[in-house]
Amino acid sequence: MPKPKITGIVHTRDSAATLEAALASLAWVDELMVVDMQSRDDSVAIAQRHGAVVHQTEVAPYVEVVRNRFVAQASGDWVLVLDSDEYLSGDAPELVQSLIADKGGSYDAFALPRYNYLGEQVMLGGFRHPDYQVRLFKKGAVLWPGTLHTPPVITTGPARLWEVLPERGPHIHHRNYRDLRQLISRQLTYALRDIYPDDPAAFDFAAYLARAHQQMALRSAPEADGDLSQAMALVMAWDAVMRGLIHWDSLEPRPPLNMLDGFPRAAAQVPRWEIRLRRYLGRHLALRHLLRAVWVRLRALLPKRG
Amino acid sequence: MSPNQLTVIIPSRGMLAMLEQCLAALGRSLEAAGLREQSTVAVVDNATAPPLPPKRIAAAGAELLRLDAHHSFSQANNLAARRWPAANYLLLNNDVLLQPETIAEMLGLLERIPQAGICGARMVFPDGTLQHAGVVFGPGKKGPYHLLRAQPSHLMPRVDREFQAVTGACMLIRHELWQEMGGLDESYPFGLEDIDFCLRARQRGRRIFCCQDSESLHFESMTPGRVKLDVGSRELFMSRWQGRYTIDG
Repeated sequence: MPKPKITGIVHTRDSAATLEAALASLAWVDELMVVDMQSRDDSVAIAQRHGAVVHQTEVAPYVEVVRNRFVAQASGDWVLVLDSDEYLSGDAPELVQSLIADKGGSYDAFALPRYNYLGEQVMLGGFRHPDYQVRLFKKGAVLWPGTLHTPPVITTGPARLWEVLPERGPHIHHRNYRDLRQLISRQLTYALRDIYPDDPAAFDFAAYLARAHQQMALRSAPEADGDLSQAMALVMAWDAVMRGLIHWDSLEPRPPLNMLDGFPRAAAQVPRWEIRLRRYLGRHLALRHLLRAVWVRLRALLPKRG
Repeated sequence: MSPNQLTVIIPSRGMLAMLEQCLAALGRSLEAAGLREQSTVAVVDNATAPPLPPKRIAAAGAELLRLDAHHSFSQANNLAARRWPAANYLLLNNDVLLQPETIAEMLGLLERIPQAGICGARMVFPDGTLQHAGVVFGPGKKGPYHLLRAQPSHLMPRVDREFQAVTGACMLIRHELWQEMGGLDESYPFGLEDIDFCLRARQRGRRIFCCQDSESLHFESMTPGRVKLDVGSRELFMSRWQGRYTIDG
């Protein structure tokens, strides 16, 4: 069987700091495309140096909005999508080729496990690993809905998606944050940019405080990630409080903040059983998350092959 | 390519603390040989979960080649040699602490003896007994083994000596020989690919020596699960080579 042609696509927006590693790890693909959202740094020059075909596009709030359009322009049979702060390992070329050769007949898309880094540390607790991402697929088999953090749709049906077990195939290495300060800075940027409901009567600061309690309880996984997970839990709790205050500040007229009343109410709003269950099964409690968490746990019990 | 240019390849599956000690000792040995600038130290992260931290490897002066799937010792070394070609390759285990003078002695031997293609090093266990001072071959199923292994070190004279094979735990190889042979044979799961390489090199008329001047430290088989993989390798090795080497042990 002839070797299938693979197109690598990387989306950039002022990505010079991390782009070098991403493109170097894709040097082996048959076609390399960089989709740039009007970068003001050296991103385009770096892309050209790596022999990528650079496409310019409008600035979008998140890449999912423009992904479909550029995937359609790829000339490869298979498409491999990376974000500009991600990279692949040294054995990725052979692992991707053998994945396609072994399973490409039965599956149209592969969800690859992802390592998320905070500084030098890979975050493993609280379901931060394997953190599956659909990034390798037959052209036309995957569509992204235009909303942030919504999983892509497999056009040929969910049964045509294969999740690659860690150690059995390539990982995505995701350098999310240089350090905790960058996490804090980004969270604040997102919180300030977000759109909040504008009805003062519906505002309840206690709901934000309850979310802060939840974040503290759910994100902290010192047994897996040590103090850094506690720091992350605190940042996410602080993020919830900040969002409450930003929301309140945007309302006209400002409703009562009721902080002193909000704290005890918020603590009571988060039942202990729910926290326990979510810590065990994953952060979310929607049915698909529950089923998935049970499946991951069952699969971990299966004997490892070869 | 300057004749002394060197790529040191260290595959590692976890064992970060040991690896850092290995890199520190290696750094001193490269420094003593005057090769710090013209050598590349390549750590191959052989599917450690979670991955070895890149900054700590860089801080130790090494390049990092991350592999997501577990590869054999041969594949790990071959991939790194392809990425960082050099006049000589030093294969090094992550549980070997080199003496400062070891690399200079090994390179000196290759320089002195033009027919030599491979040079090994004398190593001891932490208790001072011999871990490796050359590989010899026993009759029948015995096959290759380390001469005087676990015996007091003074039993082995401190004179460089020729062997049919030396261990890949610390093995210096000329680039031309490596290229000619296509690196280590990747059909071995783990173990004895080094001995196979030596025997094939001798078939091509290259000579193999073991430096005996300095004694480096080798903890041996520290990586969990490592010993299990030896069985398949041994079967493959014996099916290929039994009866085709000289019985000298």
